[in-house]
Amino acid sequence: MNANTESMARTGKLKIGMYWAASCGGCDISLLEIGPHILELAAAADVVLWPCAADFKYRDVAAYPDQYIDLCFFNGGVRNSEQEEIARLLRRKSKTLVAYGACATDGGIPALANTTTVESIFAASYLDSPSLDNPARVQPQPITACEFGELQIPHFYRHVLRLADIVEVDYQIPGCPPQAERVWTAILALVAGELPARNRAVKVACTDKAVCDECPREKRKVRIKEFRRPHQALAEPGWCLLEQGFICMGPATRSGCGALCINANLPCRGCYGPSGAVTDQGVAMIGALGSILDASTEERARELIDQIVDPVGTFYRFTMASSDLRGSR
Amino acid sequence: MSATGNGAKIGVFICHCGGNISDVVDVKRVADEVGALPGVVFTTTTTFLCSDPGQVLMEQKIQELGLDRVIVAACSPTLHQLTFRRALDRAGLNQFLFEHVNVREQVSWVVENHEAATQKATRLISAAIGRARHLTPLDKRRIPIHPTALVIGGGIAGLVAARDLAQRGMNVTLVENRPFLGGRMAQLHTLFPTGEVARELLAGVVEDVVDHPLITVLTNAQILESEGVVGDFRTRIRIEPRGANEHLNYRGNAIAACPEETINEFDFGLSRRKAIYMAYPGCYPPIPAIDWHTCTKCGKCVWAVGGKGIDLNELPREITVQSGVIVLATGYDPYEPLYGEYGYGIFPRVITLQQLIRNLDPQGPTGGQLPLDCAGSPRIAFIHCVGARQIEGVNQRQPDGKVKDYCARTCCTGAMHAALDIKRQCPKATIASFYQDMRTYGRGHEAYYERACESGVIFLRYDPRHPPRVERNPKGDSALLVSTRDLLTGGIEVEMPADLVVLATGVIPHDISELVGMYHCAVGYDSFLLEVHPKLRPVELAVSGVFLAGCCQGPMDITEATAAASAAASKAAAMIAQGQVEMDPFNATVNDQLCTGCQTCLTVCPYDAVSRDHVRGIALISEARCTGCGTCAAACPSNAIQQYGFNDAEVLAEVAMLLHRAGPAPAVS
Amino acid sequence: MAETHAVQRSSMAPAEAWEPRIIAFLCYWCSYTGADNAGTARLKYPPNVDIIRVMCSGRIDPEFVTTAFAHGADGVMVLGCHIGDCHYIAGNHKTMARMPLLKRTLVDLGMEPERFVHEWVSAAEGEKFARLVRDVTEQVRRLGPLDWPQRLVQRGVGTGMGREAWGH
Repeated sequence: MNANTESMARTGKLKIGMYWAASCGGCDISLLEIGPHILELAAAADVVLWPCAADFKYRDVAAYPDQYIDLCFFNGGVRNSEQEEIARLLRRKSKTLVAYGACATDGGIPALANTTTVESIFAASYLDSPSLDNPARVQPQPITACEFGELQIPHFYRHVLRLADIVEVDYQIPGCPPQAERVWTAILALVAGELPARNRAVKVACTDKAVCDECPREKRKVRIKEFRRPHQALAEPGWCLLEQGFICMGPATRSGCGALCINANLPCRGCYGPSGAVTDQGVAMIGALGSILDASTEERARELIDQIVDPVGTFYRFTMASSDLRGSR
Repeated sequence: MSATGNGAKIGVFICHCGGNISDVVDVKRVADEVGALPGVVFTTTTTFLCSDPGQVLMEQKIQELGLDRVIVAACSPTLHQLTFRRALDRAGLNQFLFEHVNVREQVSWVVENHEAATQKATRLISAAIGRARHLTPLDKRRIPIHPTALVIGGGIAGLVAARDLAQRGMNVTLVENRPFLGGRMAQLHTLFPTGEVARELLAGVVEDVVDHPLITVLTNAQILESEGVVGDFRTRIRIEPRGANEHLNYRGNAIAACPEETINEFDFGLSRRKAIYMAYPGCYPPIPAIDWHTCTKCGKCVWAVGGKGIDLNELPREITVQSGVIVLATGYDPYEPLYGEYGYGIFPRVITLQQLIRNLDPQGPTGGQLPLDCAGSPRIAFIHCVGARQIEGVNQRQPDGKVKDYCARTCCTGAMHAALDIKRQCPKATIASFYQDMRTYGRGHEAYYERACESGVIFLRYDPRHPPRVERNPKGDSALLVSTRDLLTGGIEVEMPADLVVLATGVIPHDISELVGMYHCAVGYDSFLLEVHPKLRPVELAVSGVFLAGCCQGPMDITEATAAASAAASKAAAMIAQGQVEMDPFNATVNDQLCTGCQTCLTVCPYDAVSRDHVRGIALISEARCTGCGTCAAACPSNAIQQYGFNDAEVLAEVAMLLHRAGPAPAVS
Repeated sequence: MAETHAVQRSSMAPAEAWEPRIIAFLCYWCSYTGADNAGTARLKYPPNVDIIRVMCSGRIDPEFVTTAFAHGADGVMVLGCHIGDCHYIAGNHKTMARMPLLKRTLVDLGMEPERFVHEWVSAAEGEKFARLVRDVTEQVRRLGPLDWPQRLVQRGVGTGMGREAWGH
């Protein structure tokens, strides 16, 4: 034990952790969005791991007793061997492990990489991008010999995984990022013991319903006559965006965000993942969308469908890793 | 042991079907293999499961072993599914804890290799076993029925249906939107095959209907709105003002005094009628009606009858009729040839068969005289299949964008009948029939064709891809020239001078698009109403409680229309007699915990079975209106809607079991 | 998603040579009866297509199709009534839009379009049904196995891919 851990063991405060894997950092910032509640958190809890904010070493964490961390948030997808190792480590060292954010819950934006290959990504990043200056065509390698000996970097996996694909997860907080108000309520519930420490990947800090439940706009029960993208037209206020032809993932997306994007006049992009009993958000939306097109002939149906620019990116933007097919062939 | 169990005691019954299955599928081996699956406690194979001994065996085993799921592997479920379900019912097991696997039409009859067929049968039965574990007991939906019927349409089909229903003790309201009963039958002269006068037969049926105490006849009546479901339809009807009433004594004076005239639709435009008119001699009601589009309310008719019996200011009335069942008998309209089609509309001597029949009618516009010089050996050409059996790319498309590709059934016999009538009036006439096929199919119809042949009618068979041409006759010895390649003489080009060209036209359903919307009728590609099943349930629509009678369903002659009408009446009466209607329990249901109120299902349901609970903001599905299509269940983006009997768990279990490879499949949740 | 049950299979393991496994979803009133029609006419076709019946093609959730592929189907067929002939008025109108949209998505995910076939078959079209089964079986046979479950295993679904974590 080092000085840090010794002191923490003595204080008896709640131990919380936040780790970021294949992540943009937004989830870490989102935790700070709890605003003044941060003071309450600080009073009640000790942070024992938070790479974004403080300097804890992995060996410190490894030295913690098992289940030392009361509440551990893990954001980001699992894309390399380091992230997987830490995921497993944190599972052992945590009482309650929470997949925080869309990436850890459903794969998030990084999981769109599952529609392409590692070779293709590396080529774009290290070889072919016009702004690169890499005449030797150097690419990252897991082991590189250099003057200091062998440098090892984590092994880059061929696929992006969710946290639940690696370890047993107790709770999942969806959202890109999750909305602070509800996150705070969930934290309070967990801390107060209203939610059991161990559970089966239950989604919290959200509702069971879809965004339509929180959406202020009204449906007119009309069918879609034409698809448009937000930059192509002004949306009529008060009227359902989907019915106007802007593809709003609201009907197939879990609510809890307060319909933030829609209140800013942009269609929902589905970041809270599937609602209700759905596991594959994309096919849920495809089923619903295909049902409300204004088309009585096959030709017209195809014309409308052809107006959708990128089905995979639209319907699986945040949930490729929790879909039935998980990615491209 | 609970009555429903949880799929821990599955019984599998495999039918040999007298060798139809067992000659190809090794049923014994299949039974052994599926018998090893978890939950299966009994398997057997038997020669004919649908037979009495087969049924008894099923019932015995259910009771003896306390089976909680039954799998039958036999012929197609379309044949005996109900039979087997009833056996479960008799044995005390919920009849929907049942799976029927098709191993005959879809396995033994189509897979040649016996080993492959056996494996397939095993696979399909295993899938059914997997599905069976997810089944739950279901009860048929029961809706109480109001013991009255509404018959829409006062032609022969509607009249027969109303009469039959009333004879069974039902209260019937018969609604006809024209001012007079009789429909298209009244526009005919004599009928095939009996030669009887149409209006005389019709009068008999009308009398039966009008005199019956249980039938209320409403003419000049429009259906405004119809709501409700089987057992309790509420229909709002507007009765247009007739203008004249039963106190009118001097009908002829009133009609003669009227100065306004218009085209008489009863004679298909061959004559004119007044604004105040009677449709035909002997029509019912025997009270003139005023055509308000033509009437100028000049009052001359009122003056002519001394002011009694005519009220030009009569107002429409609205009533609401409650009924348990509805019979649609809205009939047909004859196909109106397009302008220029075989010269129609260009040459006055090109007429339709319907117009010819009006000409032949002694009570018709010409007193039965044909527009021909009978002394001068006139030539008449009949062209068959006008507006029928059309071919995409050959015939011009109709305004609705389609071609009329179906056969209109009655026109061949009708044409032969009319040809013989012409011959009777003009023995020296030369008649030619330009036809594709001669479809005098009914009982006694072939005789018309034979007699036509014997009386000298010439038959010229044309290729449907090269229909006959009707042109002005340049030689002037007749008005028109009809030419075609005659297939009967090897394709020789034949030209026939014609003084009269008669187009034997097809039929189209009378336009009832509003009713179709109100009752959510399925309509076929040919625009006629679509029955549930052409052989097993020919007079029923998918919407429970609405029945079909007559030509609204397809071209048919009066024989067939009256048979259909009686069948519809019989079905409707049977439904009412039970006091309630039973519907399959495969309706959809909303989980109100998961429903978000996105209203996708409301937009999707073709039966308006989904409504919105504004208080809770969620969807509600009417148990009575839902027909069990499941479209809403697939559309719901929250998976909040499930269809009983076809819910996600059941279907996906079937998928998983079919694809199960050796060893467990990867967990994909 | 459906749970897969651990099942004891006695001698059900198929022969070693791969055979296409195709799942077909058929609507009861038209296409299923059309398939029966093929049987009544004793038409012969390969055994590779297993039929799952629903009442209306409108019931066919796109998730049925993706689940079938995820569980190992090499091909999936969705058959319904011709447009204008739906027993339930317009169920097939929804299918008519859902399936092409799903197909576009599947093709964007690298699936060969010939593996997912969407067609209309009426109750009288036994010949068409038999021909479809033959054609689709051959098409899929030429394309070879899809074996998406193997892909999922490669993706670490359910089994993970890891080494032990540090510090134990």
